[in-house]
Amino acid sequence: MPDIQFMNRIKILNAIGLLARLAAGGLFVYSGVIKLLAPAEEFAYAIETYKVAGPALSLWTAYILPWLELYAGLALAAGIFTRFNAVLCGALLLFFEALLAQAWLRGLPVTSCGCFGSGSSNSLEYEFFQNLVFLALTFAAYRYGRGFSADAGVAGEKVSTHEGTT
Amino acid sequence: MINRKTARLIALYGGLIFVSTVAVLLARQFSLGPERPAPNFRTFGPAGAPIMIEEYSDFACGACRAAAGKLEELLKVYGDGIRLQLKHYPLVNIHPWSLDAAAYADCAGEQGKYKEYAALLFENQDKWGEAKEKPKEFEAFAGGLKLDWKEMQACSAAPRTRQRIKLEMAEGDMKNVNATPTFFINGKRAVGPAQLVEQARKFDGILKAAHGRHVPPSGI
Repeated sequence: MPDIQFMNRIKILNAIGLLARLAAGGLFVYSGVIKLLAPAEEFAYAIETYKVAGPALSLWTAYILPWLELYAGLALAAGIFTRFNAVLCGALLLFFEALLAQAWLRGLPVTSCGCFGSGSSNSLEYEFFQNLVFLALTFAAYRYGRGFSADAGVAGEKVSTHEGTT
Repeated sequence: MINRKTARLIALYGGLIFVSTVAVLLARQFSLGPERPAPNFRTFGPAGAPIMIEEYSDFACGACRAAAGKLEELLKVYGDGIRLQLKHYPLVNIHPWSLDAAAYADCAGEQGKYKEYAALLFENQDKWGEAKEKPKEFEAFAGGLKLDWKEMQACSAAPRTRQRIKLEMAEGDMKNVNATPTFFINGKRAVGPAQLVEQARKFDGILKAAHGRHVPPSGI
């Protein structure tokens, strides 16, 4: 007979994993869709203000990145190849952090960070610390995200008893 | 060799990618993205007006000149019933100076004379529209309106001015604008002044429905 305390702990961790997946995945889906419904040039101009890429590379990035965010976010939220997509989202967040940090340190006049389209933007510092929270969520999704996931469904698991060792 | 479970997950992922891609493309087709408002000097009428007109226009296009006159009449007749937003869509492949004209018009707008400068551009489009060298008219119009030409030159060359116009062109591309003038009247597309007038026949009904009051026929 399984230890009740252990099972309860697993259920809580699965719930945390599910919530983290939905939050981090939802964030990426929102961020991708809002950019995809606006002209790519808008996001490209935001990328240019970080002064790390020229206009052509910025435009290509603006064409590709939102689709990547959408697909990775959807897969993470649904729990398809959970760990792979959590790593992908985490890598994207680290990349955004590096961009934000260098702009912050160089004191660049970035008026719109481009994080969620050009409609609204907080300060670079705010966006940097906000991304740290999203990174933590992505880590939780990576570690405990197998519960209630498509991965677990296809594998035929009723309740995942894995704690990040799937 | 891919095992059966992995194949199922790949199929699921593929389905999700397909559905989400189609959903985004459809949303783009129906212009469900966030609206980018035109600057204040290119916006006329109250925000809550029952008739919302968005025009994509090119200063060197003859049909746009004709449409400008019709719009002026409509604004006079329907007054606060219309909110008009003018957006630039210079056809740079066939009109070499349209983008510059749009930039100068915006810069005149920043000095409070968009409408007047735009009217001069339309009236004299045969003089500057297909000029081989940079037209002198841009400066002459500014002089006639007592605008600060030096400031206009700096403003016209400024990246923010060019970016704003190029974003409007990109926005037009997303809405499948491929001719000027193209109007979106309460979201419904109309191309050319004739279709604008055709749509305008419904304005009385729209205003009646919105205000529940009698509106005299326009005769446009």
